Order: sequence, then C-alpha cells, then structure tokens
Amino acid sequence: MKIVFGRFSFSPILVGMLAAALLPVGANAQDKKGELTFEKDILPIIRAKCIRCHAGVDPKAGLNLTSPSSLLTGGNSGAALRIRAAESSLLYEKVSSDKMPPVGQKLTAEEKGLIRKWINDGAKGVGNAATIDRSEDVTGVDHWSFRSPVRPTVPVVRQSHRVDNPIDAFVLKRLEEQSLTLAPNAERLTLLRRASFDLIGLPPSPEEIEQFLADDRPGANARMIDRLLASPRYGERWARHWLDVAGFTESAGILNQDLRLPLAWRYRDYVIRAFNSDKPYDRFLQEQIAGDELTGYWDAFETAEQLPDEVVEGIVATGYLRTAADPSRPDFKGIKNAAGQYYFPTLFDTLQIVCSSTMGLAVQCARCHSHKFDPIPQVDYYSMQAVFMTAYRPDNWIPQMNRRLPIASKHQKDAATKRNAEVDANVKRQKAELAALKKTFTDRLFEDRLAELPEGIRENVKAALNTKKSTRTDAQKQLAAKFEKQLRPQAKKLDAALAKNADYKKGANDLNAAIAAEERRRLKFDEVRALYDQAGEAKTHVLLRGDSLTPGPPVKPGVISSLETPQPFEWIAPDDKAKTSGRRLAFARWLTQPQHPLTARVMVNRIWMHHFGTGIVATPDDFGVAGSPPSHPQLLDWLATEFVRSGWSIKHMHRLILTSATWRQRSRVDTQHRAACVPIDPDNRLLWRQTIRRLEAEPLRDTLLAASASLSHPMYGASQSVARQKNGEVLVAAGKNQNRRSIYVMVLRLTPETMLQVFDQPTISVNCTQRSTSTVSTQALALLNSDVMTRAAAAFADRVLTEQPNDPVGRAVLTAFSRPATSSERELLSQFFNEQQSRYLELQDEAARQKAEVIAAARSKAIADLCHMLMSANEFVYVD
Amino acid sequence: MSQFDLLSRRQALCQFGGGFGGLALGSLLGNSATAAPRHSSAAPHYEPSAKAVIQLYMHGGPSHVDLLDPKPVLNRFDGKTPPAYVADDESLTKNLKGSPFRFNQCGESGLEFSEIQPFVSQHADEIAVIRSMFTEHRNHEQAIWMAQTGLTTAGRPTLGAWTAYGIGTENRNLPAFVALPDPNGPSVDGVRNWSSGWLPPRYQGTVFREQGSPVLNLQPKQPRPRAIEDARAKLLRQLNERHLAGRPGELELEARIETFELAGRMQLAATDALDLSQETKETQQLYGLDNATTKSYGTRCLMARRLVERGVRFVSLFMSGQPWDTHSNNNAGTKKCCQRTDKPVGALLADLKRRGLLDSTLVLWGGEFGRTPAAQGGNSAATSGRDHHPYGFSVWLAGGGIKGGQHYGATDDFGYRAVEKRTQTANLHATILQLLGLDYQLLSWPHNGREERLTDVYEAKVIEELIA
Repeated sequence: MKIVFGRFSFSPILVGMLAAALLPVGANAQDKKGELTFEKDILPIIRAKCIRCHAGVDPKAGLNLTSPSSLLTGGNSGAALRIRAAESSLLYEKVSSDKMPPVGQKLTAEEKGLIRKWINDGAKGVGNAATIDRSEDVTGVDHWSFRSPVRPTVPVVRQSHRVDNPIDAFVLKRLEEQSLTLAPNAERLTLLRRASFDLIGLPPSPEEIEQFLADDRPGANARMIDRLLASPRYGERWARHWLDVAGFTESAGILNQDLRLPLAWRYRDYVIRAFNSDKPYDRFLQEQIAGDELTGYWDAFETAEQLPDEVVEGIVATGYLRTAADPSRPDFKGIKNAAGQYYFPTLFDTLQIVCSSTMGLAVQCARCHSHKFDPIPQVDYYSMQAVFMTAYRPDNWIPQMNRRLPIASKHQKDAATKRNAEVDANVKRQKAELAALKKTFTDRLFEDRLAELPEGIRENVKAALNTKKSTRTDAQKQLAAKFEKQLRPQAKKLDAALAKNADYKKGANDLNAAIAAEERRRLKFDEVRALYDQAGEAKTHVLLRGDSLTPGPPVKPGVISSLETPQPFEWIAPDDKAKTSGRRLAFARWLTQPQHPLTARVMVNRIWMHHFGTGIVATPDDFGVAGSPPSHPQLLDWLATEFVRSGWSIKHMHRLILTSATWRQRSRVDTQHRAACVPIDPDNRLLWRQTIRRLEAEPLRDTLLAASASLSHPMYGASQSVARQKNGEVLVAAGKNQNRRSIYVMVLRLTPETMLQVFDQPTISVNCTQRSTSTVSTQALALLNSDVMTRAAAAFADRVLTEQPNDPVGRAVLTAFSRPATSSERELLSQFFNEQQSRYLELQDEAARQKAEVIAAARSKAIADLCHMLMSANEFVYVD
Repeated sequence: MSQFDLLSRRQALCQFGGGFGGLALGSLLGNSATAAPRHSSAAPHYEPSAKAVIQLYMHGGPSHVDLLDPKPVLNRFDGKTPPAYVADDESLTKNLKGSPFRFNQCGESGLEFSEIQPFVSQHADEIAVIRSMFTEHRNHEQAIWMAQTGLTTAGRPTLGAWTAYGIGTENRNLPAFVALPDPNGPSVDGVRNWSSGWLPPRYQGTVFREQGSPVLNLQPKQPRPRAIEDARAKLLRQLNERHLAGRPGELELEARIETFELAGRMQLAATDALDLSQETKETQQLYGLDNATTKSYGTRCLMARRLVERGVRFVSLFMSGQPWDTHSNNNAGTKKCCQRTDKPVGALLADLKRRGLLDSTLVLWGGEFGRTPAAQGGNSAATSGRDHHPYGFSVWLAGGGIKGGQHYGATDDFGYRAVEKRTQTANLHATILQLLGLDYQLLSWPHNGREERLTDVYEAKVIEELIA
C-alpha cells in the first residue's frame, strides 16, 4: 500500500522516517560555523563588484545595493531579494548567471555561494523594506458606496393603487419615468410555489396547496409567508446562501485525499439556527468575527462552572473564520518558508472571505499594491490583516486540526484531568490484576496438563519448556516441539482453555466489568473548530507585492480608512496578561455600526438577489468603483436603513419583499406588456416582471426527494458522507439518512456530489459570492439516465399510485408542478400512460400479458416513466 | 427576427453557461445573415498554427536529469557532496546522484533523450525541449496550479478551459475540452485538473472514460427498449413545448430543450469517437493496446487522437495518483513510468504525423516541476530517490507549429537551477496561446473587478525561438 499525501508519497515505513526527517533541524553543522551577516560577508562583495553602479542617490535601475533595507525595496525591477529564497531572488539570479556585473570581474563561485547562503539563511541584517505603495495613488474616494446610506423619502407615484409597500413606490417611480408599469399579480398557486422555493427551498405539498386554496380570508398570502418563515426548513434553505459566501466546506482544501474536517458541521448548524431564530444580522456578524471576545469566552473559561450556551454559540460561530483552505499539518514546521507558502495564503483567503461577504469589496487587490479602482491603499489591507493576526499568527501557526477548543470550562477541564488521571491509575491497576490472574491460571493450567503426562517424562518436559529456546538441547527441542503447544497454549487457545475454568472466568469477567465501568467515568468534551487569539506579540507588516519574504513597515490594526463611518475603528491594546486582544471585536463593532456604508446595503442586496435572481447591485461581491451601479439606488438605501431600523431582522426583509406587488408580479407577461418594456429595458433591470429562475442544485435535489416522498428531515449534526463510485460518479453514501436535505450532504473541495455539481453547486476555492447557472447537456443526461433519477421516479410513481390509485396522473402533476393538471394535459398524459403500459405489455409473451402481476408491473413502469419525464421537464426545474 | 431578439440571444449566450447547450444556442441563431453561428467565444487574434492541443500531463514531477537534460558533470560527482551553489536549501537531500541512464543523440538534429524513451526519441526532430523551466512552489498542488492555471493559488481556470473559451469547438456534438482521467483512480488534485475556475462551467473539461459508457449517464444503467425510450422523449418534448408556449422568448428554456436534443446527438458522437474497434490492428498495436503495461495509457492516447480528429480542441491525459513522484527508487520508478507511457506517446506522435494532424495539433508533455540532482533517502543508487525541485526542470512540445529538433535554455552543470533563457510558466503559456492564435494579453475574463488572464500580471514573453 502506498500512502499518498500532498507533497510526499511513500510506503508506510518510510512515512515514519520522513516524519523524523521533517522535524525542525535546529542548529545544524553549518550554523555552528557562524552566521553570515550583511555587513561582514555581503557588503564587501558588493563594494568590490557592484558599487560602481548601484550606490548613491541615483543608482542604476533604481537599485541601491549598499543599504540592506533597500535590497528589499528593490529597484525598477522589484525587490532584489526574497528572504530565504535565493533561487527566486533577482540579486542572486543576476550574479549567478554572470549577467551582473555587466563588465569587469564576475563574482567567484565562492562569492555566489556566500550570497546564496546568506539569503537562504534569512538574510541577516536586511530588516524591513523602507518604502511601500502609499495611499496617494488611491482613487475613487467619492464613490457612492463609501458614503453612509441616508433614508430617502418614499416617492409619490401615479399608479398608487399598485403600491402595497414602499418597495413598490421606488420601483414604480423608475418604471413610470420610462412610461412603464408593473406586470399583474401572478396566480395564487404560482405565488405559493415561488414563495416556497424562495423561503424554504422545497415545493408545497399537495396538502399545503389544498389548505392555501381553502384560505379565502384576507391576508392569506401574508399567512402563507409567515408559515414558511416559521418552518425549520427556512433556516436550512437560507443557511446555504450564507455558507456559499462564507466559503464553507468540509475538507482542508489541498491534500490529495481531500482531508476531512470532522468538526466543521457545528458552524453549519450555527448558521441554520441563526436564520431560523432570525438572529439580528449585526449580532450574527459579531459572533462570527469575534464570538469568543463578544461572549467573554476566556472569562467564562476561567471562572464559570461550565461554559454558558451563549459562549459555546460564540465560539462555534467563529467557524466562519476557519473556512479558508488550510492544509497545515504539524510536520510543516520543517518546511522552508512554510509561513509564506502555506500559512499566509490562509490568512489572505480569510480576509477575502470576510470583506467580500460582509462589505462586498474585492480587498484582495490591495494585497500586492494599492487598489487600482477602489480607495483602498495597501496599508489598509495589512491593517485589516492585523485584526486577525493575533489569532492566526503565521510565525506561530497552529496546524488546522489542532486549532480547536473543547466545550468545557477550566474548572471542567481540571476536573477531567484529575478524574482521568484517577481512571488511568485505576485501569492500570485493574489491568495488572487481570494479568496476574491470567498468569496464576496459566501456570495452573501448565501444572494440570503436566500432571496428565506420564510421570517419567514430567520433570524433563518441565525443564525443557522452562529453558530458553535458544539454549535448549536437541532432546529438549524435541520435547518442546511435542508438548509446548499443549502445555503452554497461545492466544486464542489459551483463552479458550482458561474460559473453561469457572473461577478464572468469574474473576476475569468481574475485572473486565470493573475496567469498563472505570472507563465510563472518563470525562471527554466535544470540541469546536474555532478561531481564538494566541498569547504573545503579533507583528503585522505590509508585505511588498504581497510576498511575506519581502516585509515592509509594521502596521497597527485598522480598517479601510476611506469608508465613511460615524464611529471610527476603536481599539486599545490590552495589557500583556490579556488572553485575547479585542482586535476582532473592535473590527466587528466597527463593521456593524448602523450607519456603516456597506454592511446593511450588501446584505439587503443579497436578500433581494435571492428573491429576484439579480441584485439591485448586480455584482454582489463588488460594490466598488468597478462593480455595477445600483438599478434602484434609493430603494437600496431605503432597504438598508429599514433593515437596520428593524433591528437587522432578515425575516422582516423577506416579509417586506414578498408582500410587495413588485415581487408578486407575473413572470409570464402578455405580448403587449412585453413589447412595451423590452425595447427600453431588455434585461428587466427596472423590474417590469418577475424573472423565471432555475432551481439551484440543492433545492433541485431536495425537490426530487420530496416528490418521491423519500426526503428525511433529521436536522443538524454530522454530515452525510459521499463516496466516489467506480464509474467516477460521486454519490451520497448509502445508509439510513442518505436522503437528508442537501445542506447536510458533505461538501468536499475535490469530491463534489455529482448531481449537485452538475447543477452548479459551486466548487469552493475561496468562497462563492454568486452562483452561475449553466445549461449544459450533462444536466440533461443526469436527469434522463442517472440511477438517482430512475430510483426517484420509481418512488414517485409508487407514491402517486398509493395516494390516488384512481387518478395517479392528476396526483403526479399536482405534486410535480404544484398545480392541478389542465384538461388537455390530463388527456396527453393519460394517453401516454395507457400507451406506455401497452408497450410494456407488448414486450411480454402472450401468456404473461394476462397475469395480474404483469399488468400491475407494466402500470407501475408506465407511471414511473411519466413521473420521470415530469421531473425532467422545464416546469419542474424552473420557478415562474 | 428583431434587433432586440438578436441582442438578448447573444446576451443569453454569454450569460448562461452552455457547454454544448451554449453552442446549440448559437445554432438557434440559424442562417440569419446578421447572425452567423459562432461556436467560439472569441475569434482568434492571430492566424493559428495549432487547431488543437493534446496535453500529456505528468503528475508528480518527472526527473529532468534522467530524461531530457543530460548532466555529465552530475554523473562525474555522483555520491559527492554538492558544491555550495547547488546545495539543497531545505536539507532534505544529501549527496549528488548521477543518472544511470545513457543519453543518445537522436534524429538528424541530435536532440538528446535518455535511453528509457526509445519511442518518443524517434520523433526528436519534431520535439522542442525547454530545459530552463522554473516554478514557484515545491508542493505538488500549488505547482500544479501554476502549471495548469498560471498562479500558485487554487480555483483558477485551467489552460484547457482558457482554450475552450478562446477558440470554442469545431464539433457541435462534442465538447471543446475533454479530460481523460485514469480509470485506476484520480490524479493528484482530482477534478481541479480540468476546472473552468471562474470561467463559465461550459468551458470546463468533460470527462470521457476509457471503460464502460464514455460519458457518465450517457446511457441508463438498465437499457430501455427503443419504443419505450422514444415515447418518453416524445412526452418530454411535448411537456416542454407546452411550457414554452406560455412563456415565449424565454431563451434559457429554449436552450435547455436544446440540451436534451444535444444529449441524444452526443450519445452517438461520443460513442462513435471512442469506439476503438474501428481502428486497425496495426494501429492498436502501435499504441501498445496489446500489452498490459502500455494498454491503459495507449488507450487514452488513441482516444485523444480520435477526439482531436473530430474537432475537440483540448484533450488532457492523466495518470492515477502521481507516478513521477520518485522520492524513493527514482531510477526504477522513472523507468517504469516510461515503460507505461513512452510507446503510447511515440505512437501518438507517429499516428498524428502520418494522418497529417501533427502540424495542427500541439502536443505538450510535462509536469509541475523537476527533481533534485541530489539523492533523497540514502546513497544507494538503487533505492534512493529525488525530491521535488522547482528551480530548474524540462518540458517538451511538439507539432502545432513548434520548431522541433531543438532544446531551449539550460540549467547549470548539475541540473539544479535554470540559468540560460530562464523560462517562467507564463512564457510557456503565452507561447501555447500564441500557437492557438490567441494573444495572452487580450484573452481575458472579467472577475474580481478586473480583467483576469491566464498569465495574470506576469510580464510574459512568447518564446519565438520555439515557433517554426
């Protein structure tokens, strides 16, 4: 067998050797000879060979080689060196290839070797680069989204009868400017199906359809919406949207075997609970960014009997900051530049996730240089990185699997340590007793069996067996060969022989029971994949060109300076003994202040996008200068301020949107309306109708399962694992809960479930801020031919035949399309059903066709085909 | 057809992914004079010399000093401590390790290949070896991302996806980009090897398989009788037509209907493309299909030729795991990889040539990095290995407008570091795109608020010396 992971592929035996080889080497022989320094070893070479051009106020190529810090700042071609990476340092490249110096004496092999070694040993004496990309270059400070939203007045419109709430006024205002209007309301059942998919990601059941149609009192729509919002299925639907932008997956992101993250699901559950309980969005963000600091985790840990629920929720929420790909392992410590190659990228991704999900900004551009479009200087990027530096600490990295917290207080942990030490001691003692007991009876067995041998040979046999194997005489060897197995049986045979002895059996059973009882006293705690600060000083530097090997000046924690926020970012360094720095909490408070220019706007835009297909800002991850301008700027600001005013209630926003005439419009509009609107607004940015939308991957799979009545609803807990089949297909692993909702299906970076992937479940590398909707024939093939669909169709058919044996066709249409079949449709389907049944019968011989079970089977197959085609039809896959 | 209809159809073409669906949507534009069907997203920027690419991706990092970059000095210092300027900077290897393999001058050009590539080396005059590649990471995945997507970060589009986006497909019934993974198991980094990253999903590689049904779900597990199947298809068509009739102008619905039609056509096209029984016995033997060692890779090479012949633009071949990752037993391991691949690859070059396809088909051979000149895991020549090595390594290109029979650039005397004509990945990528008629600076996609390129912000250089 071969063990293959990441960089290394070795036999298991070699893995051990490898682990040893990867241990930090510490001082090796070379180091003892003395460290190379810039002053002592390098400067003399430069003075001798480079100084003619690369010194003074106007050095060639802008590169001054005489001051150590200017080596990092570099010249016109960038940094002259990268710390510990001679092979990719310009200085080494130029001198080793003899390109420099261009005239005169080249460097000797020894000099080249010195420069290489000096760089690879850490370039002692180089310090930090002196200059960085300054914020003077920054543009776009007046961009609308960098200014706080001001609540606009609701406009007065001509068609006031169409205004059900302020949303409609804003939308109508824009339409009327173009002499357009809203489309009529959609039919009731269309609205029911649309609301169901929008809010819970599942179709209405036939019973729910019946109840809704029966409710003819005023406010039926609002009641329907309230019912959906109160359903636990709501959180399962909307958590998925957030998990996309948070970049949630359950594998580490790089290693060949797609290393699983067994604790990741707790964060997923947190998000589901948060949506279901309508946790205020400001609190939701604060918990995710600084749940430990917000809820006083360390205080509770030190002083409380056990961690209060709120604190546990707080640390689970920080799972948000653990979604970035993190391949780190304990043995990475020996790898050269592990920080630059593995740890910093995790920190970069984390900042990208935080900023794109909460502020809709592509800050990652400012990692290497000040942002080209947005007013984000490079120094701001690293100031924000400093917020997370106390926790992540590339200089003192915690491998991803070890970065976790137990759900326990110090008191509990101490008690557990004490208790478990007791258990260890007791078990050790009991096991010794058990061994002694076994020895006593083994010896007794020996004597008993010896006694069964002829008296004459007993002593000789005993002597032979008590002699070490290697020193036995030939005669003794013979005796041993003959009697050893009998007198000293091994393993299983010994156990079997001893078991026949009632005294031994009772003694051993008692002891084993006592050991088991003792083991049960052991205290263990569930653990959380969390982010938390580490003790010690965390330094953050601007990294030139984003390269951790060319560090620039140090920075303090901070935020994007050009964002207009009434409350500035406020952080005071705590005293040295503090367990946590408070940086993240300060950041979260700054981010969630009511008048933050981006936080509320970005979230209401996301909510809007999931109800209309496109956001008011069509680029939900880019509210910057290069993003698309809002179609309804006033509406966006009204919604953002309304969101804050409602106490950041997401459910309030759903209610507002879903009770608006704008949302209730038809997607199918008549020719006249269409002809009026299309020439002016072909993309429907002004919202003259609803948009027809394809189900996303998860609602589609869930709906297939719901139609076939096989969807199961255990909430929360570990995910359903997936397994790659021989044919390359990845399926949910077979088992009791394999038909749980898709949000509980394990999301792996390299092993995506096939049906979900085919329908555009994102493959997460950093995060997904907006899904794409593809229309490819692999989807057609999956719908028509996959085993999953064939089985779902058969189950769907069984269901309709059971529920309505007299009208399976009508029941199938109602279940699949959430509406009764029309008469012409009923005719078409019934004809298909009858003919298909006959076709199946024709495949049988004459005699078989008469048998009741054959006829029943043909009927089942025909209805299964019908169900299969309904589930493949556009009407099933799209929402009007 | 009104101007608006045309406009929005084109927009739909851009907006909704499509794979074949997208292409089929293009065909909906029909023969209208104002809207000739365009199967590619972007017209080539130059007259291309290559119409297709076959990428022979060598997972694990093949040992350049044992294959393509002869180092007599290294052999002379076998077993000795390396000089300071090539000492291992990670202290994972010790003494220098010479190559046990003899290098031969091959073809009229005299380009050197080691003796373990007897078949490929017969095409020396068609092959250009770049001996001065270097990369930026010494771990497999990051280096693979560099080789395949241009940066050491995950999630970007692969070379194949950029090609599909850049020049589209010639065959409406087959995808532009096909991946041929090893049926024995996934390669390192799995499905990301043919990912479209943030390009639309229609540009991602479609997996064709060498065993069983060529494409997943091309057929149901239990085959359905013809009459049954036809009736189902007819019903679906009727349902979708009725649905569409109430929703005129919904382009996405039309496109989806078309994907079902296309799925049917692909069943025929893909099945035909991968029916290797249509090949003569001589051809099958040429690729080593009659030999257990070469059969698997040979099958994929032959599939690649058949696909390229039918207008597929980019075919990537993979081997399970990372067979070139010879941390131990480097000599035997490298030889074994050659035994599995050399004959099939030689056959592919020969077959493309005799069919007149080599001139328009660019063949790429290489992995994510090379291997250390020094030994890893002891000094025994037989059991020692070589570690990952990013500072200097070799790849080769053939056909598709490549000037063969030459090597380009050089590493130092020990094969440690590329020193002459140092070649960053971006230069290789820019050159490949150029051969396909694409300008690496113009081929871009808006993402993260800027125009992203395969070569990102590297100052790339097309290697003119490689181009015939």
